[in-house]
Amino acid sequence: MNMAAMARSARSAAYFAPRISIQRSIVLVGRAILSLGLVAAVTFLCIRLVPVNEITAGFLYLVAILLIATAGGLVESTIASIAAMLCFNYFFLPPVGTLTISDPRNWVALFAFLATSLTASQLSARAKRRTREAVDRQNEIEKLYSLSRALLLTDATRPIAKQIVEQIVQAFEFPAVALYDRGSGEIYRAGFDDLPAIDTELRGAAVRSQFSRDESSMLIITPIRLGREPIGSLAVRGAFLSDAALQSLVNLAAIWLERARSEETVNRAEVVRRSEELKSTLLDAIAHEFKTPLTSIKAVTTGLLSDPAAPLEPRQRELVSIADEGADRLSTLVTQAIQLARIEGGKFQLNLGIHFPSSLISAALRQMKSSTDGRKIELRIADDLPLVSVDAELVQMVIAHLIDNALKYSPPGAPILIGARVSQASVVIYVVDRGAGITDEEQSRIFDKFYRGTKERNLKGTGMGLAIAREIIRAHGQEIHVTSKPGEGSEFSFSLPLTPAER
Amino acid sequence: MSAGRILVVDDDPQIRRAMRTTLSARGYEVGDARTGEEGLDELRSGAYDLVLLDMNMPGMGGIETCRLIRSGSEIAIIMLTVSSAEKDKVEALDAGADDYITKPFSTPELLARIRATLRRLPHPPDDAGLRQLGQRGVEIDLASRQATVRGRTSRLTAKEFDLLSYLLARPNKTLSHRELLQAVWGPDYGDELEYLRVFINRLRKKIEPDPSKPQFLVTDAWAGYRFQLPQ
Repeated sequence: MNMAAMARSARSAAYFAPRISIQRSIVLVGRAILSLGLVAAVTFLCIRLVPVNEITAGFLYLVAILLIATAGGLVESTIASIAAMLCFNYFFLPPVGTLTISDPRNWVALFAFLATSLTASQLSARAKRRTREAVDRQNEIEKLYSLSRALLLTDATRPIAKQIVEQIVQAFEFPAVALYDRGSGEIYRAGFDDLPAIDTELRGAAVRSQFSRDESSMLIITPIRLGREPIGSLAVRGAFLSDAALQSLVNLAAIWLERARSEETVNRAEVVRRSEELKSTLLDAIAHEFKTPLTSIKAVTTGLLSDPAAPLEPRQRELVSIADEGADRLSTLVTQAIQLARIEGGKFQLNLGIHFPSSLISAALRQMKSSTDGRKIELRIADDLPLVSVDAELVQMVIAHLIDNALKYSPPGAPILIGARVSQASVVIYVVDRGAGITDEEQSRIFDKFYRGTKERNLKGTGMGLAIAREIIRAHGQEIHVTSKPGEGSEFSFSLPLTPAER
Repeated sequence: MSAGRILVVDDDPQIRRAMRTTLSARGYEVGDARTGEEGLDELRSGAYDLVLLDMNMPGMGGIETCRLIRSGSEIAIIMLTVSSAEKDKVEALDAGADDYITKPFSTPELLARIRATLRRLPHPPDDAGLRQLGQRGVEIDLASRQATVRGRTSRLTAKEFDLLSYLLARPNKTLSHRELLQAVWGPDYGDELEYLRVFINRLRKKIEPDPSKPQFLVTDAWAGYRFQLPQ
């Protein structure tokens, strides 16, 4: 249902309450009797107490009718007009005591009297209705104003939708209000009366953006829209509200729901950013604390090992080499532990850029230059590979870890194959070694942190490289796989997403 | 004769001790400072050829110290960093460093970097190129290594000057990243694309009339850089 249709249906029943209820009928009958009494009193006054002529009597009747029209409504004053006309005719227009009129001029007087009294009734009733409507509008505006003021003081720690319904009930004194917040999926209620079994309708109203009004149960269900987008729905029971007021109420709810939502998004992002910043600062501090002493150790060991002016004895050289390698290992361990801590939990920012798969591989090979020296590396990179959208630094790290892994777990003479090919909507990079291979049982565990194979304790690894690689590839929305046969070697492969233009 | 005078600025006493011993064993004269502030004082009083500057120091910090040194001097600077992240490297180069080395490093690696940084091109730029630049409003003074463009004078560091000389001697020809790196920094270099990116930008700020729209130092995407000098 569109906006215009909704407005029409709302307008067709501008006042929600049925037109004439039993209670109102009794009041009306009472008032009619009162007006008839007033006409009778005027008649009694003019005949018995202060006998007057017919002109004075006519004016007195008119005054009485105006009073009735002002105090009462159109129905009472019309009844009174007719009664007064009959009394005027019977008691004052000759022949007195009959409902007939002898002089034709008096007919004119009688009808002039009736017309005047009916018109006066009409005018006065209309003026009265206008006044009442104006007062109603003013009340509604005051209530809307107090609602919007109350919403300014909402408490950030409680759901905003809950506070909106409470404030609506407080400001408008509706018996029952329920609000469905599409963002959280929750329904919030307030009021002394409850609104049972409307959950489905409420949700439906929000989804279909549909307005409904049930006269018998005095229930309105209206979607809450922001622009064209329904963001929730509102159910109100027992509301005497104009369309305009209802619409303003819904708009207020929409604005506050949306405001709360955007604030929440900003806050959540802020919390993530702060914890990210803290983590980063902490890790930098740890890295610095560990690497500073390592730097002086390294300077000493490599200084001794490389000083041409004072070459070491073979035994001294062996001992210093052990210390040097220990320092290297400790340094790798710290670097990888920090890498792992930084990327774990998936809450780190990817610095995405557009890159050639081949340059990622060559950059990784450059990083590994010192370890790949003297090893046979075969490259099998397909021509015309599409560009990929990745964090180059991290993906180079993954390739470097895989190369490092292949070097460690295969004999020094065995070649290592590094390749890249297109597969569906991605580029697959793979690293193949001719090492001992990995059993099926181990394959499922090698990506776990600190897992280093059953027989491989003596190797230099930290057990973190593959775990880091997997986290990085997962952050790119991809997976890393291993296929291996014991005795033949292993192949590690992962895919990289293409740039949007290449997809 | 000393191989050069080196100032080590690092807050860690062990590193200062180790550097002093290993570097002086290789013929360098070594001075040291504990903080950026001390380092600046030391540079004012002594004649140094190169500064080894720790990036992460309490107080002023390495990056700020580097900027301050650069604002008044063209001395060679090598930054010592803990992080190998690209952004830290670029930050160091942007602050005016000539090179950086990641802690922990080996002595041979450090010595190679020091040699590369102190290394100078054998030939200054040829006169023909300089004259042509002069005709286009860029004055370069060889003796003081000053560049003047649109009334704005700036001094070039040794590496900036060498890079410019090399490019100027081969105008209108795309030079690959590798060629430039090996010619200016030395044979051990070739993959450090971020060096070139930062140094070319630094040069553009000093010699281009409008650095955001370079007319001399042109990037040839994926290939290298070209010194555009229409005959």
